[in-house]
Amino acid sequence: MSDISKNPILKLEDVSLSYRSNNPDVTDGTHQVLDSISLDLYEGETLGVIGSNGCGKTTILRIMAGILAPSSGNVTRRRGTSAALLSIGLGFKPNASGRSNAMLAAMLQGATKGQAESYLEEIKEFSELGIAFEEPVKTYSSGMMSRLGFTTALKTHVDILLIDEVLSVGDAHFKQKAEKAIKERISGSQTVVFVSHVSSQVQELCERVIWLNQGIVAEDGGASEVLHTYAKHIRIA
Amino acid sequence: MALQSEASRYYFGYFWWILEPLLFVAVFYLVFSVFLKTRQEDFLVFLMCGKLPFIWFSKSVSQASGSIMANAGLIGRIDIPKTMFPMAIIQEGLYKQSMVFLLLFGVLFVYGYTPSLLWLWLIPIMAVYYLMIVACSFAGAFLVCFMRDFTMFISLGMMFLMFTSGIFWDVREIGSPAMTDAILTYNPMAFILDAFRQVLMYNVTPNLLGLSLNVVAFGLLLACMIFLIRKNSQLLALKSLTA
Repeated sequence: MSDISKNPILKLEDVSLSYRSNNPDVTDGTHQVLDSISLDLYEGETLGVIGSNGCGKTTILRIMAGILAPSSGNVTRRRGTSAALLSIGLGFKPNASGRSNAMLAAMLQGATKGQAESYLEEIKEFSELGIAFEEPVKTYSSGMMSRLGFTTALKTHVDILLIDEVLSVGDAHFKQKAEKAIKERISGSQTVVFVSHVSSQVQELCERVIWLNQGIVAEDGGASEVLHTYAKHIRIA
Repeated sequence: MALQSEASRYYFGYFWWILEPLLFVAVFYLVFSVFLKTRQEDFLVFLMCGKLPFIWFSKSVSQASGSIMANAGLIGRIDIPKTMFPMAIIQEGLYKQSMVFLLLFGVLFVYGYTPSLLWLWLIPIMAVYYLMIVACSFAGAFLVCFMRDFTMFISLGMMFLMFTSGIFWDVREIGSPAMTDAILTYNPMAFILDAFRQVLMYNVTPNLLGLSLNVVAFGLLLACMIFLIRKNSQLLALKSLTA
């Protein structure tokens, strides 16, 4: 394990996010997705985020990636660090081939055209898509989509890898392969935020875990303790 | 890449780029020349010089206006400059339009309009027109993110422009020079389409003052839009994700 520097690579201070909704059932017409969240992320760390559906897991990743700005509070990312969000299915151009999509994704994550081209064969090989790599993405199953998405993010280098539920789809064989690849990256200096509701995966991959519940951090600590409280909470509810 | 995938979806593929504008021209020709018997000289050429550039504007701006919303999937995954989406649409349109202009030149040649050095004025005219397209597309894309209802205004606006910009009638032949002046001054679309015709059909140099005023106006609009879109990048992402 590499040295964890004292300086956080990413810092959230009192981050809240709300947006106006047209749904009349929502109080005051605003959705409060995140409510005063503070946390530090250190270089080389693998942070797990757990919580039920709709608790703000994806939103917090989007804020970390700089895709969304918080309604209030501060997000400080260390200068010159890149972050990419990896999620299932979204963001693909359905009529274009897997190859074109991988190329596009790599370039959007900051690779030059030449670099992106050099990743393509690796991506094709690791994802084991075979000839499907040249077929339009709209013909893919969700498992195949996640193979493509995961591999593309894995093979193009980013400083902070934000993984959103990606490993919960895909078959057992690919899941194992992907977990192994993530572990290899983690043992390097890769910083990872890993979102999942599968406790065993979080236990396996993360040393520190936060549990998000209704937009607030319910607990922040070592993986086994937080997962234990979370499991108890689920059983009661 | 997007062009390839679009073409592969249709049976006629790339052929549609030319066919669609031609069908529009055919409909107008049928109505105004065959049914209404317009007295406009060389009506087909006259119509094509107005309609074909207009389609470039209307298609690009309408599509680009919805482009940020349409890419919510991508926007939710990565922080990218939002101007990229309308720009991608505009570049596709530019590519398609170059084929359409080639066809227009072909028709002009067949009808006996021979190219002269004055045709070089087409370069600045097209550049100004392109600036108009980019500025209006950015404005449209920005507004649609905040209120989807703007899509309706944009399509109504296109209809309004189509009728008021002298596409199937001649701005210079409406019997009131004052009105002609007013239209050419206050309707940039009418001004540009007229400039295309003046150069291509009558070998007349465009009004340089008008052209430069349009550069200033649309340049300013573009600068404002780029500033607004950059400044509100994350807000636009939130809007496109939660709409």
